[in-house]
This record gives sequence, structure tokens and C-alpha cells, in this order.
Amino acid sequence: MNVAVVPAVQVQAPLPSTRELSRRRAITRFRWSILSPLLALLIFVLMPVLFLQLYFSLHQWTVYLGTWWDAEYVGLDLFREVLTDPRFGWAVVRSLAFATGSTIGCFLIGFALAYLMYKPFRGQAFYYIIFILPMLTVPVVVAYTAEMMLYQSGPLNDLITRIIGIEFKPAWLTNPHIALPTVMLLEIWNWAPFSFIIMLAGLSAIPKEPIEAAEILGASKWRIFWEVQLPLLRPVIFLALVLRFLEAMAEFPKTWALLQGGPGTATETLPVYIFLTTWQYFQISKGAAMSYIVMLLMVVIVLFAIRLLRREKRSLDTMYAKPAARQQELA
Amino acid sequence: MTKFNISRRTFMEGGVGLTVANLLPGTTPLAFAASMEERTIAAAKTAGAADVSGMIWSPYLVPMQPVIADFKKATGIGVGAVQDISIFDAPQRAMAEALSRSPQFDFIHIDSNMIPSLASAGYLEPLDEYMKKADFKIDAVGDYAKFMTYKGQTYGIPTDGNVHIQYVRKDLIEDPDNKKRFADKHGKELKFPETWEDEFRIQQTLMDPAKDLYGSGSLRNRANGPTWWYMMFYSAGGFTFDDDMNSTLNTPAGQYAVDIYLQEKKVAHPESAGWGTPQMIPRIAQGHVVTAQYWDGTARLNENPAKSKTTGKWLYGLVPGSDFSGKRIHRSISSPLAALLVNKYSPRKAQAAYLALWLGSGKNSIPIVSDPVNTFNDAWAKEHMTSELVQKAYSPAGIKAIEANFQVVSPPTYLTGYLEFQDTLGKNLSEAYVGQLPAKDVLKKTDEEWNAIVRRIGRTKLKEELASYKALMPKRNVPA
Repeated sequence: MNVAVVPAVQVQAPLPSTRELSRRRAITRFRWSILSPLLALLIFVLMPVLFLQLYFSLHQWTVYLGTWWDAEYVGLDLFREVLTDPRFGWAVVRSLAFATGSTIGCFLIGFALAYLMYKPFRGQAFYYIIFILPMLTVPVVVAYTAEMMLYQSGPLNDLITRIIGIEFKPAWLTNPHIALPTVMLLEIWNWAPFSFIIMLAGLSAIPKEPIEAAEILGASKWRIFWEVQLPLLRPVIFLALVLRFLEAMAEFPKTWALLQGGPGTATETLPVYIFLTTWQYFQISKGAAMSYIVMLLMVVIVLFAIRLLRREKRSLDTMYAKPAARQQELA
Repeated sequence: MTKFNISRRTFMEGGVGLTVANLLPGTTPLAFAASMEERTIAAAKTAGAADVSGMIWSPYLVPMQPVIADFKKATGIGVGAVQDISIFDAPQRAMAEALSRSPQFDFIHIDSNMIPSLASAGYLEPLDEYMKKADFKIDAVGDYAKFMTYKGQTYGIPTDGNVHIQYVRKDLIEDPDNKKRFADKHGKELKFPETWEDEFRIQQTLMDPAKDLYGSGSLRNRANGPTWWYMMFYSAGGFTFDDDMNSTLNTPAGQYAVDIYLQEKKVAHPESAGWGTPQMIPRIAQGHVVTAQYWDGTARLNENPAKSKTTGKWLYGLVPGSDFSGKRIHRSISSPLAALLVNKYSPRKAQAAYLALWLGSGKNSIPIVSDPVNTFNDAWAKEHMTSELVQKAYSPAGIKAIEANFQVVSPPTYLTGYLEFQDTLGKNLSEAYVGQLPAKDVLKKTDEEWNAIVRRIGRTKLKEELASYKALMPKRNVPA
């Protein structure tokens, strides 16, 4: 049996009112007023620097032999040199390990603190200030203070020994196997408040209705957390993880002030190696090539993160869209 | 006879005398009466008054300030804005200034081992013309003045004669029980060490970790380790490059030096792999160390009863030598050697140059190097060695040790690319010290990396600099 295909009746959307048009124009003007200074900064400050860096990375400039505008063009040779440099490879591995470990640590501690703090209670403001204090401390100060505390016969080992009752004397700063984890722990202490602030905002923004509904239906606290709150927090969690990861990949002040890449090369992360290459060895061109490679790596990570975030947002929007709108979307 | 009553004979004699005086160098009528300081003032006045700006670390600047104030009164030349940068960070900043050809700093106070790099980058003003105008000479002990030169020109004026001397605990090696214990164990008399092997035996025998007394107070961290390694390497008869600028570290002398360097791990504090001067100097002064090679300024600290628990408990002398080459060679080292360098792009370079000469005169630098509180500037001039003030600050034995070590002082790699050579060596030594790299691979790896540096900077260019580097090496193996 043939079924005649009848074209759907096209329902024309009503024309926006003058008020609506005026509102949309105001929003566009507002967006441009915010974006314009940032675009100007990008075009007139950042882009020239990026182009100059690209120039350096394509030309072999030996600083002792001549001016940079007379440097020899070498194409992608420097990029090849960097990508085949085992020391660069190890710096990438160390940076990834450092960033992953410190991001997870910051997130777990930040989330735990945020979960304790998101419901109002007496004295909440006081604890809020205490919890964010580490983030307000200058990283170099953190490094120098930590150095004094982390001596083998220093106060930290002494305190732990007294608490646990057996001798506890790791060489935090001179054992190459634990030097990088030591800096990681300092990073976690310094930046867990950042994750705390983001997660606190996320937890506070969760709508009450799904939680109340779950409570009425008799769900336990754990189930409410795991099946209601956590899914709603996914976009915020991704944001916290990505931002922290990018920051951790760029960590330099603590690592340099404390250990200068040592002992041996145990803490020679990407920023340390790029600093050494550019400002100790004065290999400006190779440093520029390294910086570009690292920037591209970060761009890939950010794009991946944005894709994940958009997917999370879409799934949340679908979950909470009004029934009619949901049907239209599904159609 | 004229109405002035001067005979022709008198007139002739006076004329001949003046002619002879004018022919002799530095003996203008003014020079007969003028000291070097006065000549410097006279020359500086021709440059005009100005406040010069500079990059200098405050512990170095503070004792200079009264001397600078005197110069300002006499010439109108003083110091205005100062950027307080540690001498360990100054090379990077100076290079940034050089690359941008910045006139911001009129002078920089920096490790003079950076002279080849900064001169190659076109940043430094040669000082010879100014020295000639003021009839100024760097009156340093031994050949130390040569450390300011590069390709025949002078680029710096020293303010801090950083030479390593040997420190040995007098109370420990003169103790009768220790003497007996040492003699029983080694069949030798316990006395001031003459070789690296002697020193190691003393360190092993006298250290007592239970009492927080460790054998060695020498540095082994990545940044400073090479400074010590060079002493061992040079004393074994080694040199860093051959005449074709091929790295010659990986030789028996080099491996000997690595072994000596690494064996100290057995007698050093377990955390010394990460220690720099802020950690080690207090340990030396507070008596937690048996022996060390260290910068000479620490003697001043040790002999200051207000700051040291070991005043009067130290013997100072020549750093250990080695018989490895078949003859006894001692080599001390000067690194970093702080000096005043002048920016070629500065509009006040003449004023900065004369200020440097003023600060670098033997007489003016005495109060600078003998300051009891700010002990960063160390004695280097001949006048310092006989000055009562300086002798009191360092102790007569300390001054004798400084003089002796100056006769056998050597530089680290005095070439363009110094920082890169230094950090590469430091990295590999540090990796071996903490067990990340086998000892036998240290110099093979360093040789490869150094040869790559030479290729990149330019073999021809570095070969031209080799003569300047070799000229700094001492002429004698043991002090006179």
C-alpha cells in the first residue's frame, strides 16, 4: 500500500517584537564591548609575539654570532631536533606525571573540602578563609619555606616521627625518586583551594529539586551523591580538572626555587628545561621551537576538554529541558 | 745674567729633567704627586657628573656604598637606580640586556667568567682606554688580573676575589686520640692534607655522623658541583679542550676527577646533593664539617666570634693536589669571580668605567673586602694581603692561604657558552652523584654534549678564544 507523503505544515515562527530585537542588539553590543579589549590585546600584543617566536623557531639564531634578523633559515630542523631530543622527551614525561598527580590531588582535596562547606553553617566564612590561604601564598615563598621544613632532620620529619613512633626520615629534596612527588605535594597544598572554590561554586549551583525528590523517594546520602549530585557536577569537575592540569603543566616557580631541575635531572620538567635551554644555554631558537610544540600540545588538550564540556552541557540541557522543547529536540 | 737671576746651566738642567720626566710612562708632573685614586678622580672629572645605574646584588653593594659616596663627593659620579639581582641569576639577565642592546644598566656586577659570552654578544665596553687615561692598574695577586681579560682587552674590574682555599679543623687533627687512631689505621701522620687521597682518609677517619659531624663540607649540587670538579681535573693534569676544540674530558685524568668527586658521597651529609651555600656555610661555621674546599670569604665568617662557633678552630691552606699526572699539581679555582663590567650601549659608560676603577683600587677596596658583616667581597689585591684590617678579618693564616691559592688559581671553562658548558657538566655529575647515571658514563655523555655546543657556537670562534682561556691557567704547579 502506498503511503502518500504529505509535507509537514510549515509553521512560521512569530516575528520577534521590537523589544526583543532591541534586547538582542543590546546583548550583541555588550558581548563586543567585553571582547574588544581582549581581541585588541590578542592582535596587538600576543600575535606579534607568537609570530616572532615562530620566526625564531624556523631560524637558527646563535646569539653570539650575529643579530636575530640575520639568522639562517632552517625550516623545521629545530622542531625535528626537539622531537628527537631524549631530554625533551623525559621533560614531557615528568611534566605529564607531575600535572596528572597534582591535578588529581588538588581535585580530591578541593572536592572534599567543598563538600564539607557547601551547606551553610556557623563559622563558614572563617573556614573559607583558612582553606583558601595556601592559594594566596606566593609560590616562591612556598618553595623557600618548604625547603626549611623538608630537611631530613627538619621539623616535618621530626613531627611525623613523633606521631607514628618510628623513625621517619625521607630525603625529600635529595632523593631523586621522591623529589618530583615532593614538589607535587607542595603544588597540591598550594592549589587545592583553586579546585575547592570551583567545586564549591558547582555544588552550590546544583538545583535542590532533584535532591529533594531523591530524599522523598528514600535514597541514601551516598546514592544521592553518586547518582544525583555527581552527574550534575560533571561539567564543573571537567572544568576544574582541565584548568588545574594546564596550570600544573606550566608550574615553574616552586620547582626552580627549590631544586633547579635537580637532584640530577629528577625535577627537570618542561618549563625548567625550556628555561634552561633559552636562558642558561641561550639557545633562543630551540627554546622557541620547544615552546611552540608545548603550546600545540596544550591546544589539543584544551580542544579535547572543550568538546567534552560541550557534550556534558548538551546532556544536562536535555535532562532539564521543558517537555515540549525536549520533544522538539528529539524530533 | 738676566734680571731673574737664572743661570743658563740651571735652565738647561731643569729642561733636561722635565724632558726625562715626560718620557717616563705615568710620570707626568701630576703623576709624581698623584696616587692611583687621585688619577682616577682627575680622569673621571673629564667625563662629567652623573648617577649611573647598575645591576648588583645588595650584599656586594652595601660595603661599597661609603666608597661610592667618596667618589661622588670628588667627581659628582654616584650610583642611582640599582637592580638587586643575585649573582647566580645575573648572567641570564645580563644576556637578556645584551640581546636587546639595552642601555638600561650602565654597569653590571657579575661573574667575570661571563666576559667571553657577553663580549661575544657585543655588550661589553673595553676598559683599557679608561685605565690608560687614569694610569690605572689592576694590582691583583699573581696573574689574577688576567681573569678580567678576553682576546687581549680588559673588560672587568674585580671586587670579589673568590678563590677556593682549604679548610681543616685544627682541633680535630691536633687531637692526640685522633692522631693515634689515624696513625693506627693508615700508618701515616695525621696532618694537613696534601692530596685528594689524604683528605679523603682524614674525612673518613674523623667524621662522626652520630654527632652530626661529617667529613666533607664541599658542595655537590648541580649548580656548584663543577666548580669543585675542575680543581680535581686540572690537578690531575687535565684540560677541557684540545687545540681543535674537541672536548677532552673523557680521559684518565677526567675519570680520576669523577672518582674523587663521587667518593665524597661516603663522607658527606646525605642531603648535600641538594645543598648550596645557604645550607653549607652555616654548617662549616657551626662546626659540623671536618674539611672542605670553600670560598675564601668563609674564613672571615669562621673567625667572627659573633657568628661562628669555630673561631680559632680552623687551619687554612692550599687546596689538595694530585700526583696522578706523575708530578704534584695543585689547582684552586675562582668561580664566580664577581667583577664590575660596563655596558657598551650606556650613555654613561665613561662614568661607569671610572667608578669601577675607583672601586677596584687596592686602597679603596680594603674596607670593602674586610667588612665584618657583609662578607661577600673577598680579598684579591696585593694591598689586601698586607693590610691590617684585612688580616684581622680573615686571620693571618687565612690571608696566607688566600695568597698561596691565588698562585695556582684557575678558571672554569672561560669561553663563550660558559653557562651551557657548566650546566651540562653539572647536570651529568649531579645525576651520577644521586645514582641516576653510572660514573663511567658521565664524561662520555659530557664530551658528546660539549662537542655539540662547540659545533653550534662555532669551532673557529671558540678556537680563537682558547688562547684567552689558556692564558688564565697558572704557570706553576705548587705555590712558591
